[in-house]
This record gives sequence, C-alpha cells and structure tokens, in this order.
Amino acid sequence: MALLEVNDLKTHFFTREGVVQAVDGISFSLEKGKTLGIVGESGCGKSVTALSIMGLIPKPPAKIVGGEVLFDGRDLTKLGEREMQTVRGNQVAMIFQDPMTSLNPTLRIGTQITETIRTHTEMSKQDARKRAIELLEEVGIPRSAERLDDYPHRFSGGMRQRVMIAIALSCSPRLLIADEPTTALDVTIQAQILDLLDELRQEHDMAMILITHDMGVVAEVCDDVAIMYAGQIVEQASGFELFEKPEHPYTEALLGALPQLEGDEREIRQSRLTAIPGRPPDLVNPPEACRFAARCPYASYEDSCTEVEPQLREIRAGHWVRTAHPTSERSGEREPVNA
Amino acid sequence: MAVDRREASLPVAAPVQTAEPAAGAAMRQSSLWQDAWRRYIRNKGAVAAALLFIIICLYCLLIPGFWKIPGIWTSLKDYDPNAVDFSQSYAGFSLDHPFSTDKFGRDLFARVAAGGQISIAIGFAATFMILVIGVVYGSIAGFIGGKLDNGMMRFLDALYGLPYLPFAIITTQILSPNGAVSVWSMVVALTIASWFTSARIVRGQIITLKENDYVRAAKAVGARWYRILARHLLPNTMGVLVIAIFLELPGVVLGEAFLSFIGLGINPPTASWGSIAQDGREAYRLHPEVLFIPSLAIATLVLCANFIADGLRDALDPRTRETG
Repeated sequence: MALLEVNDLKTHFFTREGVVQAVDGISFSLEKGKTLGIVGESGCGKSVTALSIMGLIPKPPAKIVGGEVLFDGRDLTKLGEREMQTVRGNQVAMIFQDPMTSLNPTLRIGTQITETIRTHTEMSKQDARKRAIELLEEVGIPRSAERLDDYPHRFSGGMRQRVMIAIALSCSPRLLIADEPTTALDVTIQAQILDLLDELRQEHDMAMILITHDMGVVAEVCDDVAIMYAGQIVEQASGFELFEKPEHPYTEALLGALPQLEGDEREIRQSRLTAIPGRPPDLVNPPEACRFAARCPYASYEDSCTEVEPQLREIRAGHWVRTAHPTSERSGEREPVNA
Repeated sequence: MAVDRREASLPVAAPVQTAEPAAGAAMRQSSLWQDAWRRYIRNKGAVAAALLFIIICLYCLLIPGFWKIPGIWTSLKDYDPNAVDFSQSYAGFSLDHPFSTDKFGRDLFARVAAGGQISIAIGFAATFMILVIGVVYGSIAGFIGGKLDNGMMRFLDALYGLPYLPFAIITTQILSPNGAVSVWSMVVALTIASWFTSARIVRGQIITLKENDYVRAAKAVGARWYRILARHLLPNTMGVLVIAIFLELPGVVLGEAFLSFIGLGINPPTASWGSIAQDGREAYRLHPEVLFIPSLAIATLVLCANFIADGLRDALDPRTRETG
C-alpha cells in the first residue's frame, strides 16, 4: 500500500462571495521514498492541497467537504486536533515558502529546534540539543554548535531555509511536504536547497511532495509530477514521461513558457517569452466545461469539451490526462484554433 | 582553541558554504533587547526622563524610611509624615523643612515622599493588574477568534462607553462600605475603570501575530496551542506591553490623584499626592507651596512616564523609528 493516498479530496472556502472550490476532487498516491511534484500557477490549489493533508487549512472559512487523505492507511481528515498534532512534525512535516518569516524572531534557533524534538520525543534537554547540533550540521550550517544560540535575524534566507529543513527533519518524518521551498530564495541558493532536500530525502528514506510553479525544479528532483489547474489535476505522469511527451495543452503551454537558452544566440535574443493568454476561471462558479477550454488553443465551439468536462483518463500506462485534445491524438489532425 | 574548532568544522560545511561566506565569520552577539537598549540610550530625552523617574522613586522610597533609623540623619528625626506639630504650622522653607510644612505642621518633605509611595504603589499595582487582565482577556479573544472574539470585543465597547471617573468613584465606594477607602480598593477601582485599552492592544497584537508564517510553521511541526500562545505569540507582544506599562501609568496616577483630591480617595491622615494637594487648596494664596509641590511631583512623574514610553516605543519597534 502506498504511504500517502489522496482520494477525491475536496477543500472549499466558504466566503461571502460564494463557495470557492479551491481543491476540487484531487487524487494521487505517493510511495515510500518517492518524490511527487505538484505544479501549477498561483491560485490553482497547490498549497491548499498541502495544507489539507496537514490539517492546517484555516477553518473557517475553509473546510474539507469530501474525500480522504490516507496516510499509512489512516484517514487524516477524520483525526481530531490532538491526534493530528502527534502526526504533524512526527510523521508528516512541512516547510514553507518564505524562510524569512517562518522562524520566530524572538527565539534562538536552538530553542526552536529542540522544542520541536521535545514535543514528539521524551528526549532530555541536553540530548535534544545534541540532536539539534547534528541536524544543523546535516543541513550544512557551519559552526553549528555556536550558531544554535543565534537568533534568526543573524541568518540569511538560504541559511534560514536550512534551519527550517532541520526543524522539519528533527523527528525523522516519513513524508515531507515542501511548499515552494525555493521560491523566496535567489537562484544560486535554490539549487543548493533542492540538492540538499533530495539528498536528505534519500538518506532518511522519506517521501516528499514538492510544490512549485517552476518546471525546472520539478525536472531536477521529482519521480512523479502532477499538473494542477483550477483546483483539479489535469495531467499526471512520471517526470520523464511528462517532459518527453506532455499530453495536456496546459502542460505544453507551461513547458513552452520556459525561457529558451539553447540554440542560436541571435534567435534567443530576438525571441520573446511565450505566455498563456487569458486567466484561470473563477473558482466560485467554475465552468461546467473543461476548465482550461477558454485558454486552450485547440478547443473550438463544436467540441464537446466546451460543454462537458473531460474526465481524467489513462492515455498510456501511468500517464493520466484530463483533456479532449491530448497531444498524441491531435498531431496532424487539426491546427490550433486560436493560436 | 577557537581557531582549531573552526578549521575542524569547515570540511563538513564546505560543499554548501560557497555562496554564503559571511555565515562562517564570527559576529558580535546582540539580542533584540540589547539592540533596544542601545537605541534607548541614544534618546537623550528618554534617558533624562528615566533618570528623573528613578530619582523620584528613590526619594519616595528612601526618605520616609530614614526618619525611623536612629543615629542617622539626626536632623531628619522629625520627618514623620503624620506627626502633627502646630507650632510649626506653615513654617516656610528651611533646612529642617526643605518643602515647608502644612497647616498641622506636618513636614512636607516627608509627606510628599510618603504620599508618593502611595501614589506610585497604586500606579504600578493598578498598571500591573490592567496588564494581567488585558493579556488574559485580549489573548483569549484574539487567539480563539470568531464569535467569541466578536462577543468579547462588543462587551468591551459597551464598557468603553462608561465615563472613567464616575465608574472609578462608584467602584471605590462599593468596595469600601464604611467609607474608609483602602489602597487596594483604589487599585481595584482604577483597574476596573481602565483595563479596556490594554485588552484591545493585546488582542490586536495576537491577531496580527497569529497570521505569521512562523506560527503556521510551528503548527506544521505539531506544536500544541498553549505552546503557540506562550512561546510564539505572547513573547512577541512583550515590546508593546512594556510600552503599555508606561502609557497606562500616568493615567492611573492621575486618576488616583484626582480621586484623593476630591476627597474620594485615600483617607486622611494617610498622605497621597492628591490629598496633600487638597490640603494645600485651603490656603493656596498665602502658602502656594503646599498645593504646588505635590502637583509638581504628579506632573513630573506623568511627563517622565510619557517620555519613557516614547523612548521605549522607538527602541522596541524599529518600524516607527524616524532616525537610525
């Protein structure tokens, strides 16, 4: 059985403007020791998915209205707050986007690490401190024994993210959720943090969910990739398969939107970055049709997909896609309608 | 030794250290409070106010003590704040009576000090209680939020509508059925009449802090609610609370002085700054010093507290600071 199995998860926000269907029927599973990348643009429900797994969605206004999150066979959505607290940090840990604000400025980082350790174990203060030094060393913070007594403001963004990773790892969780762990860091640090995460994942035999909007990040570390759009998964496959043979027009567009840096220099200088026209649909009243139809270059008015929502189907073994116009069924048959 | 240890730890760090060389360098340690202290010291007005505040407190604490100690300060032996001596009535300024005497010949140098003890003690005790109630009420409302928060805040709004002094007067009278107003009933009355603002401040802080990423991060590693409140929320309100102490103090001291002045506060012959001023009111044209000296003491203390609060705000909240 998979370590984590999410079945038809639905998280809705009950706001004054109406019910925002932020996550609308998401399913995926993650094996022990594997990495799943969740990719999508801002507001597509990536973070809400992660917070739903952790049971950290803001209630109210948010509520999990359906589905289940099976972690090791236990449905996390049914656990009470007290039981959930023993899962969080201990079994499932999470690191957040902005390391500059994720550490408490008034506590020494040593305190922040040891308190997490002592929340979940019976370790003595001295032992917890030793463990904290080991952890800091493991995440690559030099002079870790001394830096334990420093306050967060004495650390750079990259260093703070390392501290956050150390805290997340402190109780050897089996699943690590990284919510855009490198978005707030500058590019040179990004690669280091990703390498570190991948290294630690292998060492500790953790499963990892990596949430990002950066296709490059996904290509580097993920075994499987799920592309999210407007609260749904629109394509899911192994990383290699997805990059080699993307099926969903949205995935194609995302890959097409990556800046091209290879080839003839003059061409690169003159070429423009491609963008996806239009905006994602309003999640209060999502269209009945395919949610990507309005921005899809292949959807025309005669198509069924502008009226009926396409279902997620397995186009090849292990490659799921939700579109009426997958690449492999489209080639040569028809040109883009409004490209 | 230190160099050795550094070299020993370097190889471990080397693969990841490349982009952040500064992290390896030794830096001077300075905590948030040390920084705040440095910034406070640079504010000349606030430092002067703090010194004056301490001098006033020392004067009030020490002078009434000395008249009891035999052998020392023999010239001060008559400084019993309540010792009546009609031959010394309105004696005027002299070495024996640096602040003159009142109608009953009581020495004002001792009386203002003894009155200051009462005023300052009531001031600090009431401020402390205001903060305790404010922290409890405010953090419950802010932390739990939702309907409870809404209800608690509307209740507070209703209390805000009550006029401060009549509310305090009625409370002192209820608490002292035989008309003898004790120090504690004054403290309770002033607390009940003025705890609202601190509750609001704390609630506002908690609500702001609650949304912080580090609170979410703490939840994500399994921290219980009481740890989040005690470790992550309340310590971060400390800066605001320290400022609030010195903002509440003047109001409470003034409130006490006013109640004593109109005769609804501390009962004679016990001195408080307000009651000494009341004694001085009877003959203020001929002997203005009896009214003037306690009033000056009140004004100075209140002004000092305001200056200190101002200095603390600049020191503890760098965002509102105008100059570095």
